Amino acid sequence: MPVFSYIAYPEPGTKEQLLKDLTALKHCEVMPSENTDVLVLVTDTPDEAQEKVLQEKFKKLKSLQSLGMTYGHTDE
Amino acid sequence: MSITRRAFIKSLALNSAVAAASTLFPGIIFAGWEKTDLPSGMIDWKKTPCRFCGTGCGLLIGVSGDRAVAVKGDPNCSVNKGLCCVKGYHSVQILYGKDRIQKALIRKNGKLVEAPLKEALDLVASKMQETIEKQGKDAVSIYGSGQWSIPDGYAASKLFKGCIGTNNVEANARVCMASAVTGFFTSFGLDEPMGCYEDIDHADVFITWGNNMAEMHPVLFSRMLANRKSKGHVEIIDFATRTTRSSQASDKSILFKPQTDLAVANAICYEIIRNNWVNKDFVSKHVSFHKGKTNIGYGTQDHFKFKDKAETVDFETYKKFLEDYTPEKVEKISGVSAMDIRYLAALYGDPDKKVTSFWCMGMNQHTRGTWINNLVYNIHLLVGKISTPGNSPFSLTGQPSACGTVREVGTLTHKLPHGVVMKEAHRKMAAKIWNVPEKNIDPKPTYHTVEMFRALDRGDIRFMWIQVTNPMVTMPNLRRYRDGAKKDGRFVVVSEIYPTPTSDIADVVLPSALWIEREGFFGNSERRTQHNDQIIPMPGDTMCNTWQLIEVARRLGFEKQFPWSRETYIEDIWNEYTRFHDNPKHRMAPYKELKARAGVQWPFVDGMETKWRYNPKYDPAAKGKDFDFYGKPDNRAWIWMRPYEPAAESPDSDYPFWLNTGRVLEHWHTGSMTRRVPILHKAMPASYVEINPKDADSMGITNGSKVKIISRRGSVEMTASINGRGNPPKGMVFVPFFDENHLINEVTLDAFCPISKQVDYKKCAVKLERA
Amino acid sequence: MRGKTGESIMEKPKHEPMHEPGKKPGKIFLIFAGLCVMALPFIVFAAISYESPSIVAAETHTPLIESQSLDFDHKGNTIFETHDQTSKEYIEGISTDRTLEAFYMLRQYPGSPPYIPHKELEADGVEMECLTCHAKGGWSAELKGNTPVTPHPEQLSCRQCHVKMTVDSLFVDTDWMSIMPPKLGRSHLPGAPPPIAHDLQARGNCIACHVGPGTVSAIRVDHPTRGNCRQCHVPDLHPGLFQQESTF
Repeated sequence: MPVFSYIAYPEPGTKEQLLKDLTALKHCEVMPSENTDVLVLVTDTPDEAQEKVLQEKFKKLKSLQSLGMTYGHTDE
Repeated sequence: MSITRRAFIKSLALNSAVAAASTLFPGIIFAGWEKTDLPSGMIDWKKTPCRFCGTGCGLLIGVSGDRAVAVKGDPNCSVNKGLCCVKGYHSVQILYGKDRIQKALIRKNGKLVEAPLKEALDLVASKMQETIEKQGKDAVSIYGSGQWSIPDGYAASKLFKGCIGTNNVEANARVCMASAVTGFFTSFGLDEPMGCYEDIDHADVFITWGNNMAEMHPVLFSRMLANRKSKGHVEIIDFATRTTRSSQASDKSILFKPQTDLAVANAICYEIIRNNWVNKDFVSKHVSFHKGKTNIGYGTQDHFKFKDKAETVDFETYKKFLEDYTPEKVEKISGVSAMDIRYLAALYGDPDKKVTSFWCMGMNQHTRGTWINNLVYNIHLLVGKISTPGNSPFSLTGQPSACGTVREVGTLTHKLPHGVVMKEAHRKMAAKIWNVPEKNIDPKPTYHTVEMFRALDRGDIRFMWIQVTNPMVTMPNLRRYRDGAKKDGRFVVVSEIYPTPTSDIADVVLPSALWIEREGFFGNSERRTQHNDQIIPMPGDTMCNTWQLIEVARRLGFEKQFPWSRETYIEDIWNEYTRFHDNPKHRMAPYKELKARAGVQWPFVDGMETKWRYNPKYDPAAKGKDFDFYGKPDNRAWIWMRPYEPAAESPDSDYPFWLNTGRVLEHWHTGSMTRRVPILHKAMPASYVEINPKDADSMGITNGSKVKIISRRGSVEMTASINGRGNPPKGMVFVPFFDENHLINEVTLDAFCPISKQVDYKKCAVKLERA
Repeated sequence: MRGKTGESIMEKPKHEPMHEPGKKPGKIFLIFAGLCVMALPFIVFAAISYESPSIVAAETHTPLIESQSLDFDHKGNTIFETHDQTSKEYIEGISTDRTLEAFYMLRQYPGSPPYIPHKELEADGVEMECLTCHAKGGWSAELKGNTPVTPHPEQLSCRQCHVKMTVDSLFVDTDWMSIMPPKLGRSHLPGAPPPIAHDLQARGNCIACHVGPGTVSAIRVDHPTRGNCRQCHVPDLHPGLFQQESTF
């Protein structure tokens, strides 16, 4: 069960939209900052295959500028 | 991955992201997270008794840095064995409300303004001095609490009774446990239960007398449920005036009309005698029979005085007295069927069943509270079911240290740490240990709680120091006592942690340290004293109640009596205090034992706890072969002939409903702590009035609509709750008192038991109107 | 025998009765009748000769208090009843065949009635009786799985809300979206009991969904033998925090 956490940077001016987009995705928990234009994202997918699917979904988001990974864990 | 490990890894992930973000963006704020001091992964666990009810669960507080961040039940504590309730599990959140009082406040030009703590303490001491000089020592008073830590109560008693010389020392346990205390003294000569919580694991039958244990002592109730599940034949009987969660969980729920518990208890005794279930051997050797005065009044007038007179009688007189209480007669006044009365009697009378009776506020907050305590003891004494594992008339305590502080230290007008002010030998002992001249200690008690607030209203008391309690929400007939406290020439000092209606009327507010912010002791229902270290630092200018009293005492010139150092004063006070109890009937555990263990029961004799008192098998202070009720001069337990007398104010044609008040699981007392815990507020945000569905129907009241509750003393508007948390029978309404925005005590009546002086919050007459 | 008020002691007690109490009811009646006759003059005499006029006799007649229904507080009584009636083996069942994913796939939004995922007709065309399996749960040999237990067995018209999905396609495409299902592990403090994540309407019986082999493994509790769930777990109703309003 891969668990990752990231700092998510929205495209300029799209923090609210990114919050909506990420919250709508399965296996994602989002915590927006109150005073800065970043969000913390924690993902928890059931297996590697679904992790790959999720990564593809991230690439398609228009509001997401970049993700900085801050933690990674996979069950081996 | 199991759920808990997964949650742990996800929290690590979250922490890492937030930590990284904080480095990249200094000052970044996430909703719900502290800006600084993010809890690290390491948690240190420290023990403490829970801050809330009289069960006295042992908790382990998770500390990270200087913050409390988590709670576990302490698996080493025999009380709860690692389990808590929703309040206990979230108790640490009471420390972090945003409006915590961290600075002293002094009223200047009508407004409370912040002031240096030293200035406030100076003012308190000078005002006390001035009041004593102008109006005499009995014009100053202190009103404390069953949530006082033991050293708090000891310092208060020593200062006011020993040094200043006034008996104006009272605590809110007067309106919580006083009837239990007088019940113990009249029946056994000594205070506090003879059994312990282990009775729960041995009993075959549990009967709760007017208490909602599933919500009020939930961890003990869980132990009862566990016993029932594992043994299968165990029965739990809920004997109450309204239907609650406890009724849902019990095997049988029996409803009685308020106040008629007196008659039903006598009817049970009648049945026991009639069916020859009396344990004749036990009664002839260990019981004597007595009667007191009847028609004893209700105390609603100022200066009400009552003194009981005991007369010895015999079994035959007692038997004849009970003929007024046949099940058929009692059915007529109580609403309990004769069949159900006989059913209860059969449970008590069955020689093969161990029976534990539990009670709390239903029997204590009662205008005949002392009597009903006597009457339940009568039942157990007739059948000899007492002081052995599982056979237990057990008086549950409401507050965490009503036993430990108020009852054992004696912070009531007539008491001393050992004995009473009226007895010379007891005054001598106190004077010696306190290092004060004997003539300081006044041999005459002054005022009990209600009279003390009446005296404040009349002007006989001019100065009152209130610690750890909220009387401007809890005094019955509240308007009179609130107006009285606000009169000119009254000086009120309040030691508090959060702004409350009581701090709102204060002249000085002293910021107090809360619970694990200071070292302390609590004593629970089963005579178990529990110690906690100071686990987290005191915020701002807060100071623990004990030290506040010491600071003021020194300013009044009593350095000799309060010499202790800041580092060791709690231990020093414990060592001095326990000298009062140094005999096998009450010996307390030494400081080292209490520091190391999750609670120790007293009497603590030769390194062993006394679990069952008056039984020589378990109690080294008991002599003889089977039982020794050494509290009374005749070494017997006393059965009292107590009749049924009606309530102070029953419903009539103008005010046709009983008003019953009490608590709910989520909130502690007036909610000043629990409402600031998010999960508890979200589960139970506001008070309401429970109305019987049929009554509501006939008045056109629906769930959630607004209702006015009116009595002869005032009125309150509340929201109706129908089929909510509890269900009163027709003709009764119930209101929980945790909500300072809905002051139900403006409606209640200040009637009390003439013997114990404890207020009856469960019965007065009201009418309802759609608002 | 749980929580019924005004119950006659003439009914059979749950356990094997001791000889004495078991025989007592009949005896009591006779003795009582006899006593009534004999005691009447005594009662009258005692009432007159007692110190003050007996308040017991003077009180006006109080009718028997009606027994009350225990169906309040979102059917909180069902938790205690179920806890008592559920066997130890069932309580400790830990199969993992039901997943949270599959659970939500059967629903349109959190709390909606799930559709029936298995065939509902016997081979000979007779409709199955839902409660024969879903009242108590257990292993289904036919479907080779553990059966979920309904939290609302008192609703007898099952197919009024639960239907079978007979085709896989949509009539017209839809824009339907709903809220995310509640997250797990929403404890306020590490290790603290999480608040109740869902509405209690029709879902007040915790044991039905959180205990036993037929539960979704992700929400199965690891302390199933405790009986008084709501002593630690409370609903999360009110959106805000407490605001102290001084009125003085």
